[in-house]
Amino acid sequence: MSEPILKVEGLQAKYGDFLAVESATLDVPAGKIVSVIGANGAGKSTLMETIAGIHKPSAGKVTFKGEDITGMPAEKLVLRGLSLVPQGSRCFVRMSVEDNLIMGSYPKHARARVKESLDFVYQLFPVLKEKRHQPTSSLSGGQRQMVAIGRALMAWPDLILFDEISLGLAPAIIKDIYARIREINAGGTTVVLVEQDTNRAIRTAEYTHVMLKGRVVLSGRSKELGEEEIKKAYFGL
Amino acid sequence: MTVVIQMLINGILLGSVYALLGVGMSMIFGIVRLTNLAHGEFIIIGAYGSTLLSLALGVDPILTLVITVPVMFIAGVLIQTVLINRVMLQGSEPALLVTFGLSIILKDALLLLFTADARHANVPYSTATIRLPAGLHIAVLDLVVFAISLATILILTLFLRYTYMGRAIRATSDDTAAASLMGVSVRRTYGIAMGIAMATAAVAGLGVGMRWTFYPSSGGDYLLIAFGVVVIGGMGSIPGTLVAGLIFGLAQVIGGANYGMLISYLLLILMLAVRPQGLFSK
Amino acid sequence: MKIPVLLDRKKTKAASSGGQVRVLDGVPMLAACVAIAAALYIFGLTGVLSSNIQRYLLKIFLYCTLSSMWNLMSGYTGMTSLGQQTYIGLAGYSLTVMTATYAMSYWVGFLVGAVISTIVSLILAIILFRMRGMYFAVATWVVAEALRTFFTSWKFVKKGAGMTVAARPYPSTSTIYIIALTLCIIALAVVYFLLKSRVGLGLTAMRDDPDAASSVGVDIFKSKLLVYVVSAIFTALAGGIFYLNKGSIYPAGGFGISWTVSMVFIVIIGGIGTMGGPVLGSILYVIFEEQLAKLPGGWTNIVLGLIAILVILFLPDGILGTLQKKLRFEILSQKRFSGE
Repeated sequence: MSEPILKVEGLQAKYGDFLAVESATLDVPAGKIVSVIGANGAGKSTLMETIAGIHKPSAGKVTFKGEDITGMPAEKLVLRGLSLVPQGSRCFVRMSVEDNLIMGSYPKHARARVKESLDFVYQLFPVLKEKRHQPTSSLSGGQRQMVAIGRALMAWPDLILFDEISLGLAPAIIKDIYARIREINAGGTTVVLVEQDTNRAIRTAEYTHVMLKGRVVLSGRSKELGEEEIKKAYFGL
Repeated sequence: MTVVIQMLINGILLGSVYALLGVGMSMIFGIVRLTNLAHGEFIIIGAYGSTLLSLALGVDPILTLVITVPVMFIAGVLIQTVLINRVMLQGSEPALLVTFGLSIILKDALLLLFTADARHANVPYSTATIRLPAGLHIAVLDLVVFAISLATILILTLFLRYTYMGRAIRATSDDTAAASLMGVSVRRTYGIAMGIAMATAAVAGLGVGMRWTFYPSSGGDYLLIAFGVVVIGGMGSIPGTLVAGLIFGLAQVIGGANYGMLISYLLLILMLAVRPQGLFSK
Repeated sequence: MKIPVLLDRKKTKAASSGGQVRVLDGVPMLAACVAIAAALYIFGLTGVLSSNIQRYLLKIFLYCTLSSMWNLMSGYTGMTSLGQQTYIGLAGYSLTVMTATYAMSYWVGFLVGAVISTIVSLILAIILFRMRGMYFAVATWVVAEALRTFFTSWKFVKKGAGMTVAARPYPSTSTIYIIALTLCIIALAVVYFLLKSRVGLGLTAMRDDPDAASSVGVDIFKSKLLVYVVSAIFTALAGGIFYLNKGSIYPAGGFGISWTVSMVFIVIIGGIGTMGGPVLGSILYVIFEEQLAKLPGGWTNIVLGLIAILVILFLPDGILGTLQKKLRFEILSQKRFSGE
């Protein structure tokens, strides 16, 4: 069994005095799709933001590709191949679609390949190519998610964290996006899906972790976890 | 009719300088979310730099930009990273007060260094005019400063539009967290933005020095104009800055020496009261 | 205000920082204040203090008034004004115009100054209150600059040459000392009672979170208006007394930014958002000013500015604020520690 690409051990994250993530421990095997599910407020997003370097952890350890990256800021992690597609897409609203994507190539190692990267993203999301010069503020929610995903891909990350990618989107669009995510994974990128929509996440991911009140309370191969088990862990019964 | 067109011409020529005064402030306002009360003093430092270097080296003041622009760029980066980034962690009010303190210090330091004498950057063509049909004329000096101002604003616009650092600056002003997810160091970007703002102040200082006489205390007047241009034009909008510069330029030309400044003050207060986000806010 | 001697052990209050904080309040504290005030009055009236010392002290009283008001606006209400000199200039000129041009007593001068400042502050409040933070600050400064420019070209006030105060008979330093002391005491009392009142509680809530405050019924506009106008009045009165002492005024001085520089310096050094901060800061400032005047000219503001910046960076709560936090006491309650 090779080393997991991402190891999270006892990670803790606070907002002031509020403990959003009490102690999270999970492994992400390289090249797989892993889902992290949990109810609203379980701490999933905070966990992702802490791993991705947007939020500082107050305790615990994160190891990525064998390197201790605990507390490293986001801009350094992108250089190492870790990307986050944040909740709500967070496009640069005043910039065009193409400018947003090009921002994704900001890390030095990605700049040389920017043309190639753009072609790849446009092939993945043809509608973005159509609207490449429009400001992202004029796009629909689903299209903005595509921009956010494309942006993360422009740096050719080894691991992408997707934070509630399906929030507020129509089922047909979600289906489309998930198909793309499978394509991305097929290309070798490790994927972590954070979702409230448990069914889809479990069906797509090979491994599942369930979070409750800031802790990872259940982990295992998605196929091997029973529905009752998951429900109990999810709701804390 | 001729008078009106002449006013228009002079207003445009003047407006370009005013726009340049505001551009640096607009960047800092829009990107770092800071009102730099020392911006006026930075412009005057640029004016002193160009004036004194041109005297010392015996060259046309425009050539001094080769020195003043890089030096002030570096100074801006240092001030931001060493001082302002640190104080901004405490909030925007302490940061405002720090720039306030900085402006007072710089003003009095300039007074100590260079005395209260009036200064001016002399150029051989300061009295030359170009005669146009219908009795109109354009002062060559004004035209030169106009060209320099527009060129600077154009270069800045191109930089922001087409370079990676330019995009990083725009991204940071939109969403700092998302920008850092792209690999952008927000602190470093703030530093570069301030450096650029100072660099534009260096060029603006040259314009000020060439067109007018200045004193150590002149910073306040130019801060006011810069602030006015930013408020009226809309924070972070370069086309807005140009239009606002034009409005202020026209106001000054129409109002004349005595009432020009007063009209500018009133316009500013009016704008702040009625539409604080400016004409062209994004 | 003596600190450790009068610890009121019966009254403690849990501070938001989560510990027990001793509040120096109540009868013992007020008794001390009355005692100090009485002493200052008696010494002034009986001639124990020399003219020089009285001049020194009255400056402290005036700066204390000015900075307490600035502190009330900025430290407690979140309105950072860089244009209080508007009211100082207006008051100073009211004084000179009333005494010199209309041969009235200086009391009329003070009154007119206060009335004009009240009117102007009401008008400005309507215009400026829509502006947040930085915009408000710069706008207040713009107004002062506009007035400065205007007065410099206004014939009625002798333009840039300025005017002299022509009080007959001219009051002695002792008289001015007593007037300044009285104003200072009233100003501090007003600040104290304002903060203790319901309005005061609303103010601190407003400074922390304006939206939450208005949702629980704090009338933001009225509260800010009250604070702004009260500050304007006291600033004007202090300005009037200052110019009575000085004897003459000119536009760049009356409407100059130096006034704001001193107020900002005093409050930052002393401790923003504390009752005692402006008092301590005023004393330090006047001492500093005297000492710095001995240096070759022109260094005063530079040194003050540098100290202020260093204090903001490394001692953001000011001297008294930091002491209060470290030793866990508050002078006269309604403390406001600067945010994290």
